[in-house]
Amino acid sequence: MTDLDLMGLVGFVPAILRVTTPVLLAALGVLISDRAGVLNIGVEGMMLSGAFAGVVASAATGSAAAGLVAAILVGGLLGALLAAAVHVLKSDLILSGIALNIAAAAGTTLLLFLMTGDKGMSGSLASQVLPKVTIPGIAELPVLGTLLSGHHVLTYAAFLAVPGVGLFLTRTPFGLRLRAVGESPESAAIAGINVVRVQTVALVVSGAFAGTGGAFLSMGYVSWFSQDMSAGRGFIALAAEVMGHGSASGTMFASLLLGAAEAIAVALQGRGLPSELMQSVPYIVPVIALVVYARRRQRRLART
Amino acid sequence: MIRSALVSLVVTAILLVLVVGIVLVPIAMRLPDPLAVLDMFVFGPFRNPRHAGNIVEMATPAMLCGLAVAIMFRAGMFNLGVEGAFFLGGLATVATVLVVPLPAFAMAPVGLLVGAVVGSSICAVPGYLKARYEASELVSSLMLNFAALFVGLFIVNYFLRDPAAGAMVSYKIPVDARLPRLVAGTRIHLGTVVAVAACLVGAVYLFMTRGGYESRIVGLNPSFAAHLGLPIRWITLRAQLIGGLIAAGAGGIEMLGLYQRFSWQSLPGNGWTGVVAAILARDNPILIIPAALFLSYLQVGGDLIARNFDVPSEAVGLIQALVLLVVTSSAIMRNPRLMRLVQGRGGAARPAEPKAVERSPA
Amino acid sequence: MTTPPVVAFAGVSKTYGNGTLALDGVSFEIASGVIHAICGENGAGKSSLMKILFGLEQPSAGAVMIDGEAVVIASPRIAAAKGIGMVHQHFSLVPSLTVTENIVLGQEPRRGALIDRAAARQRVIALAERYNLHVDPDVAVRTLSVAAQQKVEILKALSRDVRVLILDEPTAVLTPPETDELFERLRDLRAAGLTILFISHKLREVRALASHVTVLRAGRLAGDAPLSAIGDDAIARLVMGQAARPEPKRGDRQAGAATVTLEGVSLAARDAADRLSGIDLAIHAGEILGVAGVDGSGQRGLVSLLTGRLQPSSGAIGYHGEPVAGLGTAALRRRGLAHLPADRFHDGGSKRMSLIENAMAGAHRLAAFSAGPFLKRQAMEARTAAMIDEYNVRAPGPRAPLSALSGGNAQKLIAAREFATEPRFLIADQPTRGIDVAAAAFLHERLSELAGRGCAILLITADLDELLALSDRIVVLHAGRIVARMENGPGLTPERLGPAMLGLEAAA
Repeated sequence: MTDLDLMGLVGFVPAILRVTTPVLLAALGVLISDRAGVLNIGVEGMMLSGAFAGVVASAATGSAAAGLVAAILVGGLLGALLAAAVHVLKSDLILSGIALNIAAAAGTTLLLFLMTGDKGMSGSLASQVLPKVTIPGIAELPVLGTLLSGHHVLTYAAFLAVPGVGLFLTRTPFGLRLRAVGESPESAAIAGINVVRVQTVALVVSGAFAGTGGAFLSMGYVSWFSQDMSAGRGFIALAAEVMGHGSASGTMFASLLLGAAEAIAVALQGRGLPSELMQSVPYIVPVIALVVYARRRQRRLART
Repeated sequence: MIRSALVSLVVTAILLVLVVGIVLVPIAMRLPDPLAVLDMFVFGPFRNPRHAGNIVEMATPAMLCGLAVAIMFRAGMFNLGVEGAFFLGGLATVATVLVVPLPAFAMAPVGLLVGAVVGSSICAVPGYLKARYEASELVSSLMLNFAALFVGLFIVNYFLRDPAAGAMVSYKIPVDARLPRLVAGTRIHLGTVVAVAACLVGAVYLFMTRGGYESRIVGLNPSFAAHLGLPIRWITLRAQLIGGLIAAGAGGIEMLGLYQRFSWQSLPGNGWTGVVAAILARDNPILIIPAALFLSYLQVGGDLIARNFDVPSEAVGLIQALVLLVVTSSAIMRNPRLMRLVQGRGGAARPAEPKAVERSPA
Repeated sequence: MTTPPVVAFAGVSKTYGNGTLALDGVSFEIASGVIHAICGENGAGKSSLMKILFGLEQPSAGAVMIDGEAVVIASPRIAAAKGIGMVHQHFSLVPSLTVTENIVLGQEPRRGALIDRAAARQRVIALAERYNLHVDPDVAVRTLSVAAQQKVEILKALSRDVRVLILDEPTAVLTPPETDELFERLRDLRAAGLTILFISHKLREVRALASHVTVLRAGRLAGDAPLSAIGDDAIARLVMGQAARPEPKRGDRQAGAATVTLEGVSLAARDAADRLSGIDLAIHAGEILGVAGVDGSGQRGLVSLLTGRLQPSSGAIGYHGEPVAGLGTAALRRRGLAHLPADRFHDGGSKRMSLIENAMAGAHRLAAFSAGPFLKRQAMEARTAAMIDEYNVRAPGPRAPLSALSGGNAQKLIAAREFATEPRFLIADQPTRGIDVAAAAFLHERLSELAGRGCAILLITADLDELLALSDRIVVLHAGRIVARMENGPGLTPERLGPAMLGLEAAA
């Protein structure tokens, strides 16, 4: 490998981090819900709604930060709604999640039309973009500068959240209770833990993460919302969480793998490979990865 | 038993009216003449034979996709590959009749057969991966839906695209391949008959044959199936194959029945409608027929108000979501007090137990 | 009386949603600082009463009083605040968490926002030291033996500053020596001032441990007396009502040729509780071979092998002298296997399916019940109705769902299905666990009959009385090995089985 290739590879890192960011944020949300025993299938709809809320709020206030806050709040609110569907209406968790996705796709389009008269794009709304962060002192360094500095603020947030979520799950009282609820709700109830409350909080936090991921889609590099702009990224996040089998770091590595696949696909598309085929790559890789992981687990079980 | 089924039907009907009202009334209130909007939504679809025909046309894919979902769910798999299977089935059918030189009479049957087989892979692969490797069928089927979409668009763009047409659509589907229309003044086609027949056959299969019985045992309690020594993997996989063939065949029927060219640019959403229809019908193939008709009635009503008033038809998506939510809600559907209320004073002493949605996610 | 009773029940009734009356106006008192036994058959209402005291369920009528005051115990959290702790029959532990995490769950010591792990660990060690209940604080609970898990469960209750400790059938999962040790610890706890509620249907244990006994029968209070004032016979009569538990007759059976043989069979399984090594065993036509052993001694692995769900890592299994390596459940069933599974609703049937669909599963492929791919639904219904009749299954009708049946009636229906094939080899795994006396007696009779007709029966049961009453021969499993083989006879008692079950003695 020549030095030139190495530089090319380093230059590729920002692209990977960029496509990984929304998936990682949403996947961390899925992780928290999954460990609490309420797998959040509605993550796709929550991302979409977060993206929409971010655009609307930032356009209304002129502040990107307000847009981010709105995205987080809307995501959390949808998490609370999903919890209410499961615990108050006692509906099926997975089907309620699917219902949330259908409702979010329809609802965002409906609201977009009511606000702008356009069903497809939010072009007429003057929404804001969240900033990139340049780290002084590191940005100037040759390789490290490219690797560590100049990324989007939510990219830093997503990767800093990984140890945060890990610590939360393994070392805090609430994290311990959350894991107990997810694994054995009856035992948790007997230990005096309010299972409904823990699962509701988990879904709200999960929704907040998904909303943040959505904000990255509509306020990260572009400044508009378009119909169905989450385009299955929530489902990719779901796959990343399953591949990461329950740990925050595992989820991060899985998200990076899927992000890299997508970044490579985008790059190859630029070199004349059919774009449609390349767009399918991020959806095929998780399936292969799931099989590889499942095979390894089966072999491990067979050995012991 | 019959009485309790009736009660749950009545409760469901009341809920559906409420749900439609909850979504529609606030939207209508924004407009100058809210009553006209509601009138158009509720009665419009029946005022004109063409619109009534639209209901039946739209119900056709919903019935078949619903049947596919019901058969797969009944076997205990949360396979959501119907959407992708429908898309790919439609594409493969169109590709076959465009590319393969076939005599006129063979075009539709061969095209549909190829479409069903190719498209069914989107349901069969997650089923196989689950049976063989215990990989979550939920996640893999969701992924493959999108993979099918993009691979499909690639095929359209590079192999089937008609340069003379402005958009990214295929060449025209040969007239000989199209399904015959049945009712003058509407677009109702042979596919509707196929769909209704399929639902009836599906009911016979699930409840009156050994294979259906066994797949329901596997779906309701795999441990019991293992105790009996049933070949669980094969039985589940078989259900995913059948479901995939039906869903993909539905895509082909939709194309040959209603379209001039393959023109889908994104997943058409019929698979999700099928999920809602199946849940509304509680995975009962016979009930899927009215459930599909009801859902497409909503869609036609939505389209009508969208065309005549300043309201996007997406409102119907909200109604669908709410339907899914309330119908699976055991707090509503299995509420003993509510059941007694509906059943009236003449009801049995013991609270009736309506048929539960027979599933819990894996 | 100077101090009010620590717990008193005043006219407590409980009706469940499906109309079952579990408790009917139960009133009695529990004095402070004693070991108080609550006796009764399965289904007498013991568990319902304790669930009410622990806040898992609410009484439909009546009140619970603590220290003389009526209280509403809406949740286990409130019960804990009142000083009530419970050791559940099916432990309330989270398997993947460590011993320490399980014990501090819900009341974690903190350092800032995090759990103070050192303090938590110290708390567990101190607790274990104080009550002489030793466990490793750092291992995951799922790796522990049943007896050790019970210790954790007790420690968990004690860590919440209890005054009243409820133990629900704590000895069901223990060997006799483990039971002795548990009793020592419970006496220590009483000496430390705790009130202990000991739920059991084993008279011997009640006599050994408690000073006061309350008997429940069919949801009503049947008796309440100091143990010094009441004899064993009197308690037994209160427990059973008029009819004493019928002694199943073993009858005269002649064992024939070996139906099923295991030669040097080993099973390497992930779960230690499933492992087997060097099992040599023959089950003969016309005999009931009893398997004794602590839960998790390899019984589950043995059943998995004999039903074809797992294959042995080494050794050979034969049916009628022919090797059956590689054959699955379906093939073994065709060779005459039947199986009453330990968990009847998990493996034995499908709750949401009708009695017809439960009773005919397996037989549905016979020519009598299907034609080509189609089922003969009328024939299936008629056959099911006949089974319901023959086995005295109390059911609303053949089309009712299995969930409408009580445990005993469901078990009878499952037995009807399994016995209908006229099996040559039957595995009866905990055949009467948790069902009423009449149903149990009925099933015991059927098992004896089946053996009389030449079926080879492997009886696995934790109920030593049942084991001794039915078996012709008994083998004892310990840690996946057969450690003792004995002929059953009047001289064989639970006490003699005990040491072997614990692996202390290789009895002859």
